[in-house]
Amino acid sequence: MVRHLPTLSIAMSVTSLALILTQPASAETVTLGIGTQDTTSNTVTAGVVIRQLHLLEKYLPKDGKYANVKFELEWQNFTSGPPVTNAMMANKLQIGMMGDYPLIVNGFTFDSNPESKSRLIGVAAYSLAGSGNGIVVHKDSPYYELADLKGKLVSVPFGSAAHGMVLKAMQDRGYPADFFQLVSQSPEVGSTNLQEKKIDAHADFVPFAELLPFRGFARKIFDGVETNLPTWHGIVVRTDFAEKYPEVVVAYMKALIAANQWLRDDPKLAAEKIQEWTGINKEVVYIFLGPSGNMTTDPTIKPALIDAAATDVKVLQNLGRMKEFDPKKWVDDSYIRKAYAEMKLDYDAQLGSTKNYEITGEDSFCKKPIADPRKAGEVWVDDAGIMPFSSTACTLGAYADFKAKGKKINVAYVFDTTRGIKLFADQAFFAVGNGEVAPFLLKKDAEAYAAKISGKVLGFDDAVKAAVGGGKT
Amino acid sequence: MPATVIAEADPASAITPPTTPPSFGTLALRWYRLNRAGLRAIAIGIISLAAFLLVWHMLTTYRVVFFVRFTNVPSPLAVYASFTKAIHDPKFLLHVLLSCRRIFFGFSFAAIVAVPLGLIMGRFKLVHEIIFPVAEVLRPIPAIAWVPMAIMLWPTNEQSIVFITFLGSFFPILVNTLHGMSLVDPVLVRAAQCLGARERSIFREVYFPASLPHIFTGLTVGMGVAWVSLIAAEMISGQYGIGYFTWEAYSLVQYPDIALGMIAIGVLGLGSSLLIRGAGHLVMPWRLK
Repeated sequence: MVRHLPTLSIAMSVTSLALILTQPASAETVTLGIGTQDTTSNTVTAGVVIRQLHLLEKYLPKDGKYANVKFELEWQNFTSGPPVTNAMMANKLQIGMMGDYPLIVNGFTFDSNPESKSRLIGVAAYSLAGSGNGIVVHKDSPYYELADLKGKLVSVPFGSAAHGMVLKAMQDRGYPADFFQLVSQSPEVGSTNLQEKKIDAHADFVPFAELLPFRGFARKIFDGVETNLPTWHGIVVRTDFAEKYPEVVVAYMKALIAANQWLRDDPKLAAEKIQEWTGINKEVVYIFLGPSGNMTTDPTIKPALIDAAATDVKVLQNLGRMKEFDPKKWVDDSYIRKAYAEMKLDYDAQLGSTKNYEITGEDSFCKKPIADPRKAGEVWVDDAGIMPFSSTACTLGAYADFKAKGKKINVAYVFDTTRGIKLFADQAFFAVGNGEVAPFLLKKDAEAYAAKISGKVLGFDDAVKAAVGGGKT
Repeated sequence: MPATVIAEADPASAITPPTTPPSFGTLALRWYRLNRAGLRAIAIGIISLAAFLLVWHMLTTYRVVFFVRFTNVPSPLAVYASFTKAIHDPKFLLHVLLSCRRIFFGFSFAAIVAVPLGLIMGRFKLVHEIIFPVAEVLRPIPAIAWVPMAIMLWPTNEQSIVFITFLGSFFPILVNTLHGMSLVDPVLVRAAQCLGARERSIFREVYFPASLPHIFTGLTVGMGVAWVSLIAAEMISGQYGIGYFTWEAYSLVQYPDIALGMIAIGVLGLGSSLLIRGAGHLVMPWRLK
């Protein structure tokens, strides 16, 4: 938000002016403006990957009515959804991508546009359980769960998916509207404020709830999974463009499918490339988009996501931010269906599936295959790559082993025992006892579990020692 | 020929003091004649504003597209609807009040620091040589770029916001003060020195009054820039302020509210500039027309 404001818009208007002046009015050139959110890791398969790998160019129609057409692609990067909507309204962008709340605002804002409406044509990534959004606190703060934040200053970008999560969480727990001192801050401002301890907590969307802890000054105390309301990022298009050039929109959907495939073929390479393109650490990208990650990249428009959008509309209406809007009428899956058909893929089968791709392979430390990916773990060794392990104990054991051999370890991942979300091992709380090592996001969950197995709650370093010692404390 | 009328009337009243006060009609007429230029300016101002509103209304109602596109620009009526909603909301008043307070503090500190600094820099070459390069490097940095630094520098957010408005107004005031100092007639300074004035007196009696007009130009420009910096500054606040109001409207893509915020900033900026100009007339009566 901060970066693009005055200079870029001036540059944009100057370029568009130059373009208009230099272009003849013939239909020779089709200009397609695409608004991406590179730093929002959820949207990378719909944006930065397609751009960097030139996937759209590969699928753009070249014959028939496009035989003499030259395509002019204009990629613009933003850090949040509303500026994309603004540029789409101004017809500077024809395709845009953003999170669930900004998407609805996009559809609703276009309702009053006489030239064009907007339609949801595909999904970049989703989490049915609502992971991805989260609330983080400063790592030195004494807050370990949502209830600890009573009366505290909590910032969240208003109108974002994370704002929706906070409102839903408050509603679920019956908290009054003034339970927190809720203020609106963009991710950039909120992150700096949290680092400087000016605010007690910051709620944000992908990737900040993982990125800030990874950067070392924050701790996640609430994950969107606790709201159990799906969160997702989608792609919208201006209908005037889509009706005039439907083949181009289908080509975009094919590029999206291809980008998805590229990601899943080699998630490690993808994470490294995405770090290179967007500046978001590869370890953070991988926790979202890697196997058994917290986000599922899937272009199909699942009814569950649209139902969630209807819930979001109600939240916005209660806030007086929106009037009538029906998300069902706003969906147009014809383009993505066509793309699936032309690529000889089964849309309906994919639509019915909510499976992510999971961790597989052979545990090289405990010497057994991986049976349950959501009980497994991974260790990213700097020069040897990402290795899967069949359990938390094996993961921590392997971690200690690599350390002992003097290897440089980037990061280790484990899974929350009850919620199944992927965690950075060094940020987790471990319930250890009776030969069991069970990781948790929340201290309170770990304590409850430790009481059950009459064990103890340990931090990462102690848990590693305990794992080496066979799960005894 | 109002001048002759007054000239004829005045000697008479001077010779024989009026036993009865002049009638209301006479007073009104006299007041009108004295303020005719001012009234004319106000009347033309109102007409031009009305014309602006009318053009805006027409452009948006007919959604004119003539290279510039008014298709989705909110109409004045939509903005007025937002306005009526806003004034019934006590929060809007709070937004305005807090912004005014921030501008007041930021601007006052800027004036208190920049004016003496400019005077000293103008008088002593060494100080100028030390401070000028730093000031010139910092001057072009836009307010929005200062946001992360401001958050880290100051213990509270309110201070960070005031700091950004301070920076906005500081440089125009400093530069104009310097300019004013450079234009002080050296003959006046030498004359004062010949008459035995000491440094302090020269400063007080020559340099300061001579550069006052430029200082006030600086203050007026500085006030404008302070309001310009407001949106950037209030992004930090996350809760209140007219700049924040505009920013929040942007993040929810509510065009009428964005326009309302813009207009509110414009009107408040105008009001504060008028205040400065008024203060200028009080401080420099010799410059009154």
